[in-house]
Amino acid sequence: MAVFPSLDWFQKVRDVYNSDGSLHKGGGGACHTTAAFKVNGQSYLIVFEGLKCADIRTPTDSELSEADFVIEMPFELWKAMVANVQSHGKADLHYTLNSLDLQQDEGIAYSPADDQYRQDLFYRYNQNFQDFFDASARVETTFA
Amino acid sequence: MATKASQGMAVPAAMPDSSGEKAVEGVPVPTFDWMGLSAEWGTRIKPGEHGLRLSDLNVGIYGEVPEVWEDQTRRPRGALPRPGVPPLPYNLRHKHQMWADSAANLYEEAIQRRWIPATDVPWSSLKPLPDDVERAVCQVCTELMQYANTEIEIITYWQDQMSYGYYEVKQFLATATFDCARLIEALRKRALSNGGGLGQESRGLVNRMILESRGGWTESAVYLYLMRGSYMMLVLRGLLNAAHNDAERMIYGKAIEDWARHLTYGYDHLKYSVSHQAGQADILQTLLTLGEIMMGAELQESTTRPALAIIFGGGIKGGRTVGMETYLHLVGDFVRNYLAVCDWLGVPRAEMLHPMLKKYLEY
Repeated sequence: MAVFPSLDWFQKVRDVYNSDGSLHKGGGGACHTTAAFKVNGQSYLIVFEGLKCADIRTPTDSELSEADFVIEMPFELWKAMVANVQSHGKADLHYTLNSLDLQQDEGIAYSPADDQYRQDLFYRYNQNFQDFFDASARVETTFA
Repeated sequence: MATKASQGMAVPAAMPDSSGEKAVEGVPVPTFDWMGLSAEWGTRIKPGEHGLRLSDLNVGIYGEVPEVWEDQTRRPRGALPRPGVPPLPYNLRHKHQMWADSAANLYEEAIQRRWIPATDVPWSSLKPLPDDVERAVCQVCTELMQYANTEIEIITYWQDQMSYGYYEVKQFLATATFDCARLIEALRKRALSNGGGLGQESRGLVNRMILESRGGWTESAVYLYLMRGSYMMLVLRGLLNAAHNDAERMIYGKAIEDWARHLTYGYDHLKYSVSHQAGQADILQTLLTLGEIMMGAELQESTTRPALAIIFGGGIKGGRTVGMETYLHLVGDFVRNYLAVCDWLGVPRAEMLHPMLKKYLEY
């Protein structure tokens, strides 16, 4: 059983996501971006190359600052989102990345370089990222 | 055999062997004079890690994108000109009038991430909705279709006048019009497949403003992307948040990705224009002053306002309370995003924002 949040958990999600093309229906296309998740004080760098999640790792400060965009939200919200995916097989409409971004006053995604072009990648690849988190439904999860 | 000619003109080429065979009587003997003509020969571009992309082709003279493209013919960039070709009305011949560095890659992304409403959308997931909600969904579909056909019309109006020196932009905009056509298709199918039908035509204040922006493509891009496009993105995101079934979820989710590309091009172009053309920031300020009035009026009067409130509130009753609150917050997000992008472009609007838009910052 993988613990959320942890690098092990994200890597297990990546393995599930990469192993089954039927999980890519929402995105439905190649995705080339390097983004980061900030969860409970810990950062994770995710690299999408084409139809695969090529890598997920703990970033250096430099890598973090060079990410196209960062998704950050309160830990309780991260947990609620993952729990929702676990319960429903995919995020219901209250817990998609789009919904959570709309619900938060400052949004959940930002460009560390304050670059509008890179910030927009969050919307251009929004469904790829949603597919990724929806794949976590197949990872047996416990919470830290 | 080919060697690169200096100044790019005649390039020795492999010529057919004419020593032995006689021409067939009555058939003109081909001269093949054109075979030695190329501005740059011997180019062998290899695919990169993402395949052979449009942007990979920008090598040698083929990658020279001038600030001004004087040629008024349909000559592809890098091809040899042919003397005597009459000029055509390509009136946009300055790079700052249309350019965005991202255009080539956005073109690739658009054709790679295409989707098919007929078969990709799970239409069987549609289920009957309460009458007021179905009517609201259909009304919003009707108005968004008009947003999309306005985009098609204004792009094609200007695309006709864009010179071929900046073909990447023309290529990308071709995909943008196709995205619009596909959204019109998907929304029309949604409206006509669940017991409803199309609603009332939009009054179209902003549509008309966009279509009557004739000062140049950049002016149109201000209204089309910075104002209408930014708003439409929030509407699509709100609709995805309130989708009633997987069919709607897919339509709105895909449309968000499509429109994000349009906005990326639009913002990128405006940034390029402001940073490469003296006085452009002041022109944008003037355009936005006028545009905010029209945008504010449309937000006040448009039937999308009550229709979206009904969708967000789950019916007329909820539309009067939580639905309208959600809608107003959505418009507030639009105005906040708009101001942030204006800042990024170097055209700050916060101090001059029209009261008809400023009031939404409360939400």
